[in-house]
Order: sequence, then structure tokens, then C-alpha cells
Amino acid sequence: MPNIELRGAHKSYGGQTANAVSDLNLEIGDGEFMCLLGPSGCGKTTTLRMIAGLENLSGGEIRIGDRVVDSVGKGIFVPPEQRQLGLVFQSYALWPHLTIERNTDFGLRLRKVPKAEREQRVNAVMKVLDIEKYRHRYPSQLSGGQQQRVALARMLAVNPNVLLLDEPLSNLDARLRLEMRAELKALHAAFKTTIVFVTHDQWEAMTLATTIAVMNEGTLQQMGTPDDIYERPANRFVAEFVGSPPINILEVSAETLSGPATAMSAYLRNRFGALVSVGSVGIRPEALHISEIGQSVPDGAFAVEGNVSGVLPTGGSWILELQCADGTFFLTTHQPPETTSGTPVTVWAESKALHVFDPAGRRMEEADRLLRPERKIAAVSTIKGLTASAG
Amino acid sequence: MSYVAPASDVISKSEAQPRPSRRTLLKYRLRVAMREPTSLLGVVMALIFTYLILVPILSMLVQAATVQFGDERRTALETASWTFYYLNRTFFSAISRDLFWEPLANTLTVAAGAIAIAMVIGTPLAWLLSRTDMFARRWFATALIVPYMLPAWTFALAWTTLFKNRTVGGQPGWLEALGFAPPDWLAYGRVPITIILALHYTPFIILLFGSALRRFDSQLEDSARILGARSYQVAWQIILPLMRPALLSAIILIFAKCLGEFGVPYVLGLPVKFEVLSTSLFRNIASRQTGVGAVIAGSIMLIGVVTLMIDAKLVREARRFVTIGSKGTMNRLSRLGAWRWPLTLFAAAIFVLSVCMPILTLVLSTVMRQPANFALDNFTLDYWIGSDLETVALRTGILLSPDLWAAAWNTLWIVGSASITSGIFGLLVGYVVVRTPFRPLSTFLRQVTFLPYLVPGIAFAAAYLSLFAVARGPVPALYGTVWILILALMADQMPYASRAGISAMMQLGKDPEEAAQIAGAGWFRRMVSVVIPIQKGSLVTGVLLPFISGIKGLSLFVILAVPSTDVLTTFSLRLVDYHYTQAANGVVLIIAAMAYFGTVAAQKLTKTNIAEGLGG
Repeated sequence: MPNIELRGAHKSYGGQTANAVSDLNLEIGDGEFMCLLGPSGCGKTTTLRMIAGLENLSGGEIRIGDRVVDSVGKGIFVPPEQRQLGLVFQSYALWPHLTIERNTDFGLRLRKVPKAEREQRVNAVMKVLDIEKYRHRYPSQLSGGQQQRVALARMLAVNPNVLLLDEPLSNLDARLRLEMRAELKALHAAFKTTIVFVTHDQWEAMTLATTIAVMNEGTLQQMGTPDDIYERPANRFVAEFVGSPPINILEVSAETLSGPATAMSAYLRNRFGALVSVGSVGIRPEALHISEIGQSVPDGAFAVEGNVSGVLPTGGSWILELQCADGTFFLTTHQPPETTSGTPVTVWAESKALHVFDPAGRRMEEADRLLRPERKIAAVSTIKGLTASAG
Repeated sequence: MSYVAPASDVISKSEAQPRPSRRTLLKYRLRVAMREPTSLLGVVMALIFTYLILVPILSMLVQAATVQFGDERRTALETASWTFYYLNRTFFSAISRDLFWEPLANTLTVAAGAIAIAMVIGTPLAWLLSRTDMFARRWFATALIVPYMLPAWTFALAWTTLFKNRTVGGQPGWLEALGFAPPDWLAYGRVPITIILALHYTPFIILLFGSALRRFDSQLEDSARILGARSYQVAWQIILPLMRPALLSAIILIFAKCLGEFGVPYVLGLPVKFEVLSTSLFRNIASRQTGVGAVIAGSIMLIGVVTLMIDAKLVREARRFVTIGSKGTMNRLSRLGAWRWPLTLFAAAIFVLSVCMPILTLVLSTVMRQPANFALDNFTLDYWIGSDLETVALRTGILLSPDLWAAAWNTLWIVGSASITSGIFGLLVGYVVVRTPFRPLSTFLRQVTFLPYLVPGIAFAAAYLSLFAVARGPVPALYGTVWILILALMADQMPYASRAGISAMMQLGKDPEEAAQIAGAGWFRRMVSVVIPIQKGSLVTGVLLPFISGIKGLSLFVILAVPSTDVLTTFSLRLVDYHYTQAANGVVLIIAAMAYFGTVAAQKLTKTNIAEGLGG
């Protein structure tokens, strides 16, 4: 049974023409770690706030467990204080006038939990998050990372079924962020809570989530496992948003497909004559390889000649900038490149590394069938959400 | 589980869903709106302030154009019918000169003179205090603000103590007693009023101009220097033009303040029939010319509104000069060199003139039987703590007089309860303005609570008088009770209180409250355990600052108070009227001490600067 379900959820603010969230269908299973990923302004935080009840819907329905918490059609709205959720804010929103201990047991006091049990719960959660020693301090006396832990402890103390996190790590420095990520993952494993996590940081989403929902301009772009999102982006937006350095995109138009304009169009025409309506092809930087001119490339690979125009070491890995007739490519490698700027090379990628999109930017399933014969395409056709989205 | 969007472009399919009926939609909206009482609270407060602020002002404006009780024969019309009689009488009749035009001219010239003097003294002081290495800079920064903390007519009383001549009865002034008879022009009227207002409002220039100077991006200055400009060229061509908005803003605020100033012209203008608008208004109300009074009050209000609109425009314009850099705003000090001592002495002289002399004069006057007689046997503490004095009334020293303690008690609890109420209302207004999803309500509340700011106190008091003098509907006649004072004072303080509340709520943001909501706290719980405790500091400021200005306030009380609701200010004014010089000065000193120490305590307590509470 899905723990949280959004059906046709819709949010518009008065006066604005564009919807903050349009027709969103989302199922978040029990115990799942779901990341809402997208650029700022894509509606992910609004979605989270609607689940929490801090924003009401303009249309559609939200269900938590068996309970409809917000439904315009049924005239139901359960206020946030009755939804029994946890929410960690980006700013942490600790109460500055209360000590860490009082911050943590606030929810338990509201629920009139007996003192002994309250203390035991607070101690337990403080211990897990390692903030016992600060219990009598005030939030302003703690560092950002410590405040973050208190914000988490405050919500975990009441043991919510669902924990919502609104970019909770974005105010931390890089090292702390890494630590907290590991900790969040461990917490998820320990508490088995359903977690919905909002972030614009793709690495955060990749490392933490069991499922990622990519959003843009208020609509859901793709929902799937981190691997799915990376390996099989559903459209150009997802392909370009996820991955760093970003995916290389080669524009292919109907005219170039029929003529010899670019290496890619020639390649597509030669190998897959059936593919006529291609809009663009994406290749991840790490899927690109270079060889000396004249050396053979694997069978069926896409290859184009070009020049190395820049070698950018990034510590342990390298980014190569390559100028080809088809445009500029970026290539990442963990092998020290034995080449310098200006060297002519053959740039190539295996056919299964190509992501083919139609002119509207949608992933072309038929291209996958041709380019990746070894993969089980069947997985795509059993999508549960596809029917939900049509309804 | 996986899901693939049909397209990257937005395809809205909301029409695919069954449209909820109108009733369910209404039910839903109501449920969302009722999830917290913010909007309900807002509506209640909008009603309260409409009644306490908007209605009195409108009622007064109506009075200006309707026949007042007792004027039927003169206007040949029924009471309460529409008439131009009062407008005519005030602006065009044979006595319009005395009623309006001359007081207007006097108000304008006094204000202009005061502004000019304040500029001449204030701008160099502001520069000395904020950008030079003058001696005792920090000490002066506080000391030179003191005149603003004291009630303006403290200085008026000190002036009469020194310069009073035989035109008026009672004890002579010190100069007269020493054998120099000061001429009328020096003792009363335009000259002393102008000088006193100038000294009282110089701190405005120091504070506003000084803070603009401190925020000035010194990179702008450096660029000019590097291109070869000399100091005076930098000052004239770079700094002053950029400072113009701040300076103009200070000037306009002083003008608005002068417009409503009552105590100083009352004490110093009356003996020579020198009238300004506020005293003319007072005289008309005192002689029951309510119609004309309403016209004058409306005129003061109009001038006030226009002035502050100009100020608002200037402030907007000033924002276009983005001189508030992040990097270059370090406060670099000019070296004064050989001028260091003389300029420090200049600042010291201003301090002596505007603080030491008046206070010392007042203090001495309360312990001397005969003015300006410095023989030892002339000194006495009788006027403070004596008994069986040879006076007609007030036969004890003022500290032993029950009248003083009654007035002090009245002051404390009238001003205190008004300040506490307005402080709490201010926070609630701030809460509603920031939180309500209903925009028009937020805008209305913000504007209606700001309205008294545009109305000089004396005109606002007149408005209250017109509304609450008689019973209207369920509201009994409040004139003569403390309630009219508390209500008027509270309404008069709302601009400061609501602005403080709004900015405090803006700073707080929504997160702490939403976190409590998620934790399961209902609205009331959130207010009590989260919002109010966090805003404790700003609530204290929001109560204390109005309290201090209320203690030294005069213009509201002088119209609305009656002997049974005497406060310290009206008590001392009556003592002035009856020429109990020593006692009057004593009471004024008490008020000044309360205002000064109150301000200092408030600053200490809240770690704020008076400059921030100085909107006007």
C-alpha cells in the first residue's frame, strides 16, 4: 500500500498564470526514500509543503496512508498539526528561545507524553544524533551542522511515519554535507520511516534516494531509481539536468539526417535507416573515448574525428575538451590522458551509450530497441505510473 | 517502480478530473481559511482601528463642513446641515487673518528658521561625530542627542526663567532681576521659539545625516581622490550631492514635527499674542469654536500629509543612490590636525548651550526664592519639600503635594496602559499583515495603523474630541474620563507599534511557526509558546519607546485631559499658567528626568539605538 499518494495535485497562486505545480501524480511507497529533484522554482518545495499541509491544493487530492488529507473535490483539508508528519526546514527553524532539549521534546509535550517516556525518547534520539552534550544550550550557540542535527532530532523524537526534508543539507559545508548524507541514509535504515527529500543537488539525490522524481516547471518529468534516471533519462531535460559535466547533446534535424551534414546524422542513417524523426542525441562525458587517428574503434560505435582543445585536470580525473565537426564535446576519464592540446584524435562512443531524443525532446523507445539490444526493454513497458499519469 | 513523463513540455490535464461542485469548493476554501484565526483576528483589528483612527478623523472633517451646535443663528441653518460657513470664516472672513493666515505664516517661518539653524549646527556636528577624529567622539554622540530626549518645552521654561520681562506677571526673569530688561522680541515669540525648536531638533540632523555619512561608500570618495580631487572638492562634488536625500528627509521630518509642536509656542508665544497653527487650534477648541477648530485641524493634517508624501517620494528616490556598498563602507576618519581642539570645543559649546544651560537654569530656579540672587540665604529646598509656604495655593513643596503624585500616577497608568495595549496590538497587526493570505486586509491594516503618523498630535486630539465628546450609540461620552486619553494615546502610538510589529514579524519569517505547526501545535499554542516568546524583545521596545514619548507628550493631553485626569505635563502647564515658576520648573525637571532615564534604560535593555526608533 502506498504511504503517500498525490492524484492530479495542482497548485496555482492567484494572479500568476503559470502553475506552481500542475497535475502531479506521485506515489511514495512505505519506507521509501524519495527525492524530489529539480532546478529552483520547479515546484518541488511546493509539493513538499502541500504534503505537509502548509499549502493547500488548488485541485486534486493527497492521501497519506488510508486517510485523505487534502481534497478539493471532497472538501477535505486536514491542517498540518493533525497530519503527524515530520518536516525539517532548510533554515532548520529551531526555536531560538528554547534550549536544545526543549526544542527536541516540544512535540512530545504537545502530545502529552508522560515525563518518563518523554525523557527516554529524547535521550534516545539525542544519543543517535550525538547532541546530548548540547542539551542545555540555545540554538544560537550551535554550529550549522549541530543545528541540523537538532532539527532532525526534534522531528524524529515524535517518531513520525513520514519525514519531509526541505533541502536540509544546502546550508552545510561540503564535508559536513557528506557526513550528514551518510547519517541520513543510516537513519533511514534504522527508523524505516518514509522520507521525502527535496533537493536541487543531483549527487545528493543519487546517493540518498531509493526513488527520484525529477520535476521541472511544476510537472513531473520522470520518476525512477537513481540508475534509471541516469541511464535512461526520459527526456532531454532530465538528461541535461542530471550529470556533471553535463551530457553532450548533438542536435540532429530532419535536413541533416537526409544529407551528409554531420557525423552523427551520417551514423544514424547508415546504421538505423528506420530512425527518421530524431531531434537530438546525448552522450554522457564518461561514455566518450578517444583513440589515435587511424586506430580501429569497436564495431558499431559512433566515431568522429576532432582535436583536443583543452585538458582540465580535476584531481584524480580529467576533463578533455574536444572540437569536432559536430560541435564541442566534453569527455571525462580517470586515466591520465596521454595527449595534449591540439592533438588530432578520433572521438568515439559505443552505440548503447547513445541517448536518442525525438524533436520534442522525448526519449525514443525504438532507438533503444535498436541501439541496446542486450537490455531488457520490457522493464519500461511495465511502468506503473504511466497509467496513473494518463488518468 | 518507474514512471516516464509523456513529454518535457507542460501538458495540463486538469480538465480530465471531475470538477468539484461550487458548494464543495466553498466548503474547501472555508476549511482552509478557518484552519487558523489569523484572518478573523485581522478583521476584528481592522474594525477596531477603523473606529479608533479612521472614524475620528472623518468625523472631524465632517465637523468642518456641518453646522455645530450653537451656531444655528450665525449660519441661519439647522444644526448638522452642510455649510461652508467654517471654511469661509477660517479662510476668507475678516478674522481669517488672526484665525489662520497669520498663524500659518508664523508656523512656516518658525519652522524654516528652526530648520536653517539646525542645519547650520547639525551638519558639521554630524560630520564631526561620524567621520573625524574629534576628541570624545563617542561621548558626544550620545550627549548631543540628549536635547531630543527631553520635552521641547523644558527649554521654553528655561528660557522664560532667564529672559522673562515685566510684560507678564509673576516672578521676573533672571536678566530682569539683574537689571537688564530684555526686550519683548528676545523674551517671547518668534526668536525664542525658533531657537528652541532648532536646538531641540538638531539631533535629528545629527542622527539621520550622521548615519547616512557612516554608510557612505568610501570607495566613491577614494575614486575622486585618486583622480586628483582635493578634500573640499570631494566634499562639495561627491559627498554632499549624494547626501542630499538624507538631508532633505531630515529637514522634512523636522518640519512635520514643528507643525504639531504645541508646548513651546504656548509658553513663549502667548504673552505677545504670537500664534502658530497649533495654538490657534487650541484657542478655538478652548473657546468652543469646534467648527473652525476642525478646519484648522484639517489644514494641519493636510500640510502634514503633503509633507510626508514628499518625504516618502524622497526616500524612494534616495534608494536609487545606491551608496550602501558592502565593502567600502568602513568608516574612515578624517584627521582634524590643528582644528581638533577648536572643533571639539564647538561641540562642547553646543552641548552646554542645548543641555547644560537649560537644565542648570531650571534646577537652580527651583531652589531659589528670588530669581538671580545668588546669596546663600536665597537658596531653599522649600519648593521641593517645604510645607506651609506663603502662597495662595500649593502651600507645600511639589514633592509633598498630593496633586503631583496624582498626576504622576495618572501619567504612569494612562501612558503605561496605552503603551502596553498598542505594543501588543502592534505585534498582532504585524502578525496579521505578514501572515494573512488575504492581501487587501493586510494592506488596509498597514495603512490605517499608519494614518495617525500623518496627523499632528494636536489635530488628532481634536478629532478625538469631536467624536467622543458626546455619547454615540452604545459608546458613552468619554470626554473627561481617562478612557479617551488611553484610546487616543494608543491610536496615536499605533504607527510606531505596528511598524515595529511588522518588521519584527518579517524578520522572524514563517519557519519557526511552521515547525511548531508540523510538531502538532495549534494556532493558540503557537502564539503562546513560539511567536510571542521569540518576539519578547521587540515587544518590550514596542512598549517602552511609545511610553517614553507618551510621558513627555503634551499636545494630546492638553486638549483631552481635564483636571481630574491631570497628567504631569498638563499639571506643569497649569502651574506655568498660574506663575508658580519654581513648582512648574520642578515638575518639568521630573518629566525630563523620566524621559531621559527611561530612554537610556530602554536602550540598555533592548540594545537598540534611539536612532532606529526615530521615524519621526
